[in-house]
Amino acid sequence: MNGGFFSKTVFKEKPMQARGRCWKFGDNIPTDRIVRTDLVFRPFSEILKHVLETCNPEFPLKVKPGEIVVAGKHFGQSSGRAIAAKALKQTGIGCVIAESFARTFYRNGFEIGMPALECPGITAQVSDGDILLVEIDSGRIVNETTGRELQARPTPPFLLDMLKAGGLIPMAERLAGEG
Amino acid sequence: MIEKILARASGRKTVTPGEVVVANVDCLLLHDLSGYLTGRVFEREVRRPMRYPERVVMIFDHHFCPPTEEGARILQENRSFARRWGINLFDCGNGNTHHVGVQNGFIRPGTVVVGSDSHTPVHGTLGCFATGIGNDSHAGTVMPFGKAWFKVPDAIQVRLSGTHKRGATPRDAALWLTGTIGEGGAIYKALEFAGPYVEQLDFWDRWLFPLIVVDLGAKCGYIEPDEKTLSFVRSVTDKPFDVLKGDPQRAFEAVWEWDLSDLEPQVACPPTVGNVKPVTAVLGAPVQWSELGGHGGGRIEDFRLAAQILTGRRVHPDLRFNLVPSSRAVFRQAVREGLVEKLHEAGATWFPPSTGSNQAYNMGAMTAEEAMISTHARNFPGRNGSPEAKMYLASALTVAASAVAGAIADPRQYL
Ligand code: SF4
Repeated sequence: MNGGFFSKTVFKEKPMQARGRCWKFGDNIPTDRIVRTDLVFRPFSEILKHVLETCNPEFPLKVKPGEIVVAGKHFGQSSGRAIAAKALKQTGIGCVIAESFARTFYRNGFEIGMPALECPGITAQVSDGDILLVEIDSGRIVNETTGRELQARPTPPFLLDMLKAGGLIPMAERLAGEG
Repeated sequence: MIEKILARASGRKTVTPGEVVVANVDCLLLHDLSGYLTGRVFEREVRRPMRYPERVVMIFDHHFCPPTEEGARILQENRSFARRWGINLFDCGNGNTHHVGVQNGFIRPGTVVVGSDSHTPVHGTLGCFATGIGNDSHAGTVMPFGKAWFKVPDAIQVRLSGTHKRGATPRDAALWLTGTIGEGGAIYKALEFAGPYVEQLDFWDRWLFPLIVVDLGAKCGYIEPDEKTLSFVRSVTDKPFDVLKGDPQRAFEAVWEWDLSDLEPQVACPPTVGNVKPVTAVLGAPVQWSELGGHGGGRIEDFRLAAQILTGRRVHPDLRFNLVPSSRAVFRQAVREGLVEKLHEAGATWFPPSTGSNQAYNMGAMTAEEAMISTHARNFPGRNGSPEAKMYLASALTVAASAVAGAIADPRQYL
């Protein structure tokens, strides 16, 4: 890291993980389908009732904390607003795993403290409803339903630090405070 | 080239693809929707002063005159936010974010430009590093510190050659490339557009290429500044800038080459920007609306092309033709060239400079049965009223030809 407010790696906490039911979605899901454009300015309580509903109407009704969203290619394309990532985080899910992400969604995920793992081949290896155990730091994914193991692409250490700090704003604040 | 810009902005000699750098940001562009969300995060969660208010520009472009109380309130809050922090504000009627930013000299070669509007990479046309980042980056790092983090992208060069045949335009080339490279076909890459085709284009036609990179999944687009770019920049600002020259030996992860000589007029069909077909595949498809506007259109070039088709012809009585200049400068030029009167007399309707039907904030909502053909940048469902309404994207020639025919038409029949 170069100098300035992000310069020190000061976060050493226990490895992060998520475990729970997998909700599986397809390719190229735009942010407009994660949060409908006409709901963007509404309170979260209202947005949460509609997250991803046009892809799977059960999702906003049944998703539970710690569960895992698995998606195909280019997840979160279209708008760069963080609201789509924020709404997904508010549902309580533990992480999103996709074949690949739209870069604004990937970036927003870490900035607001929601892990996003890139794992090419994942959609062929898990079915909707499987139980997954995901180690965020190492990228190891265990499909407990089938017993198979997968390895996600490594997450840059900078982004893991950001997650541990609780997102970009706390990270920037904390590091700026330390000079 | 992007590497050189990022190295300079982060105070390093060199950077390499894949590494994360923290770079100084020269310009932050916000529009009325993203600006509102960013302002809330900044004031509620960051609680620090704005470091460089002169680098922050807010443009009201989705609204040109709010149709609801909720809209009016958002604009009021944005105005007081702008006043409180002393940032640049362009209120309703100035045009769409990116055009207003460029026309007012905020974007200069060699600089770092960010915005939460995902089409921010379009500013790579001026030879800068420009990309879309989220609200928290703006509110948490750009506003309080004047910086942002970036992962350095790998670069791919797109080399284009050829001369168009009658009826094909640079917009058709950009649409065709979107279909050919494909949505998500260049994820995380920097796409540098080059080659004899690009060199011969004027500034606002070059603009159409970095505009598409976001939908290919790329991080930024870039065109090496030449004399045309520099004289354009000098025509809009006298602020100094210095151009970083790429070395001719520089390495690209890949070079993609295409000859565009045989290109036919193209149409991006619903439901996605990558569903691109030659116009002949959709001839006669019903449309009730047509529009020149949005980031892809509303340029003076678009109104000139439409006037070519509408000379001696009229807009079909069953269809509405909306004209939305991208900035006040474009409208003034259209007045001077007599295009305002000409297109008005042909039955089209002028709207205030703005982003037009994009997301239907002020205009452009449709019922499930309706369809539009436009020069907009996007056609995803749910952006214009009913999620079942259809949006086709095409060149100004094809849009104007369809406006005359009352259904999707081949501009070559009217030239
Ligand atoms: S199409 Fe409209 S909302 Fe979307 S990125 Fe461009 S300006 Fe922003």
